[in-house]
Amino acid sequence: MAESRTPLLDELEKGPWPSFVTDMKKLAQRKPAVQDALGQLEMSYRDKKGHWKHGGIVGVRGYGGGVIGRYSDVGDVFPNVAEFHTMRVNQPSGWFYTTEKLRQLCDIWEAYGSGLTNFHGSTGDIILLGTVTQNLQPAFDALSEAGFDLGGSGSDLRTPSACVGPARCEWACIDTLDICHDLTNTFQDELHRPMWPYKFKLKIAGCPNDCVAAVARADLSVIGTWRDSIRIDREAVREYADGGLDVERAVVNRCPTGALSWNAEKKELGLKAEECNRCMHCINMMPKALCPGVERGATLLIGGKATILQTAFLSWVIVPFMKLEPPYEELKDLLRRIWEWWDENAKTRERVGELIYRKGMREFLRAVGLPPAPQMVFRPRANPYYFWWPEELEGNGHKEQG
Amino acid sequence: MAEAASEELKARVLEYLAKVDKAKSHDIAQALKEKKSLVDAAVRELAREDRVEFLYIGTSYVKLKGK
Ligand code: SF4
Ligand code: SF4
Repeated sequence: MAESRTPLLDELEKGPWPSFVTDMKKLAQRKPAVQDALGQLEMSYRDKKGHWKHGGIVGVRGYGGGVIGRYSDVGDVFPNVAEFHTMRVNQPSGWFYTTEKLRQLCDIWEAYGSGLTNFHGSTGDIILLGTVTQNLQPAFDALSEAGFDLGGSGSDLRTPSACVGPARCEWACIDTLDICHDLTNTFQDELHRPMWPYKFKLKIAGCPNDCVAAVARADLSVIGTWRDSIRIDREAVREYADGGLDVERAVVNRCPTGALSWNAEKKELGLKAEECNRCMHCINMMPKALCPGVERGATLLIGGKATILQTAFLSWVIVPFMKLEPPYEELKDLLRRIWEWWDENAKTRERVGELIYRKGMREFLRAVGLPPAPQMVFRPRANPYYFWWPEELEGNGHKEQG
Repeated sequence: MAEAASEELKARVLEYLAKVDKAKSHDIAQALKEKKSLVDAAVRELAREDRVEFLYIGTSYVKLKGK
């Protein structure tokens, strides 16, 4: 038997799981670029060194984002991947497709690219991997014809993304799909023409479960929430208890704020709504008995992401509650004010969270015209992250802290 | 819809870009002593007209098309 040319990659085909190596080998039979991509990857595994360079000018007419230039630094050995650019395609809100659209996408990439796809990249886009510079414009034209547009890349607004929200999920407190679609259409220039110090990510989750992990990854997180009280179906709570759920231990004692109480005799759940911080634990544990309140909107948070100039950040609350109804002007105006301040003040490659960290939450809030609120904590359950301006402190001898 | 950029500013942006290899919009605005938002609008139009292009080296820059 002939010796394999990819012994290290072959290891990734073992075991019970689907393997990208197997898929690539299948595709390599008709796509020389994929054959070379496998060869280069094997070399990388062997040398423990990446062989891709990225950047430079590649794009389509009028666009500054959506195409990531990728070149091989061993193009003499693997000429079919000397150019192997990636196209990012704006995904539909909530990642819903018809099979017809998926087929169209695959046909386009078969015709103009390597055929390799990644559904989806970490930002949320459809990732089409591997094409040459001269195919970029024809691929883009074909994508446009099929109703698709490019997503963001570089120092621009990255493709907004949202959880499936009201389409599939009973916890959605806001219409994540519509908000995502509306913001994407409103901010087309911000998405396609990179003018900022660095990238800006916008993610929308329908409830605090945050299935798009916005709080850890987005520069601005929109998280659905409620202002009134969790609704409790008392009979359904009793059914959970009768069915063997230890409500006291598994639900009440794990409420992080002590908002819940349990009357074991009557099998009754008590709730101090004002103590609830909407962590979703009790709702997730007893979905048939508990659900979000009826006065719904969103909490806005800023500054998440493992950044470059500072350390990793989770987001900070900047608006505890905003009602979100079309056309979402309040949210859009706030975004514009945030971008203006960040654009004006940030260093190159400084994300908005890093700028707030450097300049202070107080500066930021004043610049964008937001009032301070007790929910603005630097670290959860630690210390406040807002310090009053000296002139706002009435007749006192207090010295400003921090 | 954003207002149309002035032709005069677009010409000055092109003139500036002719003198440098690449620039961030922020630097163009500072060099021309113009508001960043006006320069952004001018660059956007120039991009749509295919007269400037974007370059990515760690962050995005603007440069004259084909320069
Ligand atoms: S974030 Fe909330 S609303 Fe969205 S899918 Fe997850 S649980 Fe459902
Ligand atoms: S959502 Fe969380 S904080 Fe609120 S009552 Fe339930 S467990 Fe407690």
